[in-house]
Parts: sequence; structure tokens; C-alpha cells
Amino acid sequence: MSPDEVEDKEEESNIMVWLTGSALLAAMIGIFIYVPTERTEGVIQRIMYFHIPCAWLSFFAFFVVFICSILFLWKKDREWDIYAHASAEIGVVFCSLVLITGPIWARPIWGAWWVWDARLTSTLILWIIYVSYLMLRAQSDAGSMRARYAAVLGIVGFLDIPLIHFSVLWWRAFHPQPKVITSEGIGKGMDPSMLATLGLSLCAFTLLYFLLMGERVRQEQLKDEIDRLKREKLYSS
Amino acid sequence: MNLFLSQITAIVWKDVVTELKTRELFSAMFIFALLVILIFIFSVNLSIVKASEVGPGILWVAFLFSGTLGLNRSFVMEKENGCLMGLMLVPADRTAIYFGKLISNFVFLTIMELFILPLFMIFFNIDLLEHLAPLLLVIFLGTLGFCALGTLLSSLASNLKTREIMLPILLYPILVPIIIGVVRMTGQILAGEPLSEMMNWIGLTASFDIIYIGVSIMTIDHILEE
Repeated sequence: MSPDEVEDKEEESNIMVWLTGSALLAAMIGIFIYVPTERTEGVIQRIMYFHIPCAWLSFFAFFVVFICSILFLWKKDREWDIYAHASAEIGVVFCSLVLITGPIWARPIWGAWWVWDARLTSTLILWIIYVSYLMLRAQSDAGSMRARYAAVLGIVGFLDIPLIHFSVLWWRAFHPQPKVITSEGIGKGMDPSMLATLGLSLCAFTLLYFLLMGERVRQEQLKDEIDRLKREKLYSS
Repeated sequence: MNLFLSQITAIVWKDVVTELKTRELFSAMFIFALLVILIFIFSVNLSIVKASEVGPGILWVAFLFSGTLGLNRSFVMEKENGCLMGLMLVPADRTAIYFGKLISNFVFLTIMELFILPLFMIFFNIDLLEHLAPLLLVIFLGTLGFCALGTLLSSLASNLKTREIMLPILLYPILVPIIIGVVRMTGQILAGEPLSEMMNWIGLTASFDIIYIGVSIMTIDHILEE
């Protein structure tokens, strides 16, 4: 990377920081000030505006892992490996947040921290799959072997999602029926102000994903660069 | 095609001969499965719960745990003395190695399961004979799926530093759909329901088998590469 390029990238990431920051701020205002409190569930229902975006973000991140894994095995380019790694890390963080916010919401509403409902179970299994993906990465030394193995697991793990979904669905289901997209059309089950807040929150979290992704990828690239320089300057002299 | 088949047969035959000579894997798997069943019998009170309700779960846990022993062995054995390198130098397709290993794992596990079934019948006082045909179909589908994914991940884990630890950690979460499926089906069969009642589970297990054999064919080249 030339110094000019570094500067360009820094400027880009500055814009991204401001954009994401203001979107998150707007989402906070929406969640805590603008949106009315839900009639039956009370103030706890506001956690939904975090819970759903986190869930969306983790699924999206795992999908990116899947795509990048395929592209890596196809093109054998280190870039795709970095993207898959970064996305898996972000996905696990947000999946953990889903598993934390879920019980906080469930306790007063369902009367239990955890029930073995279809969507809870599949989120938990998904979390374990991607934690094992990160463990696999930590277990093997950097290099083409780690990248190939991780890519295979990224593909195998994602293809399991539909199977997990159906198996736990037939196993049992208690979770509230989808409210945002129902058979009557999009957004009929909810107040427009709530839908707007949820949409805003979703946008803010998606921006946050791209911000974190950019930072993490840049970190990993710099790490590669340092390794390369070390090899060149340290061992050749 | 003929060449491919004979390559697969050669690998399976090699594994069978090795096992006949050493006899270390099969006896270990069998005793381990038996121990798992015993531990479960001590940990659930069979005078309170119905044997036909907990039985299927215990049976499959025993199968999966002892199957993991076999999977761990199947590629680690090849790592000793550089046998895997020899296998890869053979002018054969990598998928032939995969299928050879898949079939030998499948054969060992199935034989072990056939030995465990009569013991299960005696310990739990469940009559398996009247439902034998559907039960064998479920065992076939479940074992095939377990071996299809297990062989792929075992070839991957055998190159890691902590292979014995990593294989179950990688394998079990992905196996969840098939575990739920086979335990449900076994329970329904023991309750006397016909196979037509559980077509959705059969479809799920069969698609698991097909998906993971397909994925393995496509990705094994990237794992067995040195």
C-alpha cells in the first residue's frame, strides 16, 4: 500500500464512522424517545429494536462467510479468506448479543429465561457452529491450510442452516409468529412508527456491520503487511 | 468408472484387512458403545421413565459417540508412517479416497450397531424384531449421514494439532438435524407407527445425506492437498 492509498482509505473510513455514528444515534432517539410503548408488553418490548437487527446482522454475516468461502476455494485469493474470517467474528459477536437480549426479553413475557423453541434452538446451534469455525481457525497455523479448512467448514456450516431450521421446527415451536412480514402483507402487524424505528435500527446496524468489517479487514491486511516486511527486512540482513 | 470402483474397493479392502489383523478399532467401539448405554441406564431411573421413550435417544448417543472413535481413527491411522501421503501419491482421484474411507467407516459402524441392537433389546425390554425393517432403514440413513460428514471433517481434523478434541466440536453441532431426525423416527417406529407417518423426517435425513456427500465430493480436493 502506498501512503496515498492509506490516506484515501482513512478518509473513507472517517466518513463511514460519522455515517454509522449518526445512524446509530438516530436509531437510539427513535427507540427511546420517538416510538410509543407497546400496550401489552410494556417498556421491555423496546429491546426488540436491538434483538431483531442483531439477529439479522448475524445471519447476514454468516451468509457473507459462506459466499467468501466459496469464492476462496474457487479463486484461492487471500482477500476472500480475510473477509470470511472478519465476517465470522462479527457474526459470532452479534449472535451472542441475540442470545443475551433474547432471555432478557423472554423472562418477563414468557416467564422463563429460555424455552426450547425452534428459533432459539437454531440460533444457539448456529452460534456453536461458528464458534467452532473460529476455534478451527485458532487451532491451525496461518497459511493456505487454515484458509482452506476454514472455507470448507464455512460452506458445510451454512448449508446446515435450512436443515437445522426444519428439524427444530418439526421438533417444536413457541416463538411469536412473524409480525413484520405476515401473510397479509409487509408491515400490517405493526404500528407504522414501530416499523419505522425498526427499519431505522436495521439500517444503522447494517452500517455498523460494514464499518466493523472494514476495520477488521484493514487490521488483517496490515498484519499480513507486517509479516511480509519482517520476512524481508529482518531475515535478509 | 470401473477403475474408480476398483480404486475404492482397494482402499476399503485395505482398511478391512488392517482391522482384521489388529482388531483394535472394532472392539474399542463396541465396548465404548456398551459403556455409554450402561452409564445412561445408571443416570436415568428406568422404573419412572418408560424405556421406549428414553431408549431411542440413548441408543443413538451410543452409536454417535462410538462412531466418533472410529472416525478419529480412520485418518489418524493414515497419518502414521506417512500412509496418507502414499494414498495421495496413488494416481487416483481424491474422491476415491473419500469414498473408500466413507465406505469403510460406514461398514465398521454398521457392524458395531448390529451387535449393539440385540443387547439394547435385552437391556430395555423392547421388542425390536416386529419393527426390524423400518428400524434398519432409519439406521442406514442416519449412519450414512453421520459417516458422510464425519469422514470429511475427520480428514480435515487429522491435520490439526488437537485432532481428537476438534473432531467432535466441529462435527456434533452440524449433526443436530440428523440426530433429532433419527431419534424421533426411532421413537415413532418403536411406538408402532408406520413409515408413511414420518416421511418428512425421512426426507430431511436423506437430503442431509445427499447434501453432505455432494459437498464432500466438491471440497475433498481442497482438504487432501499437500
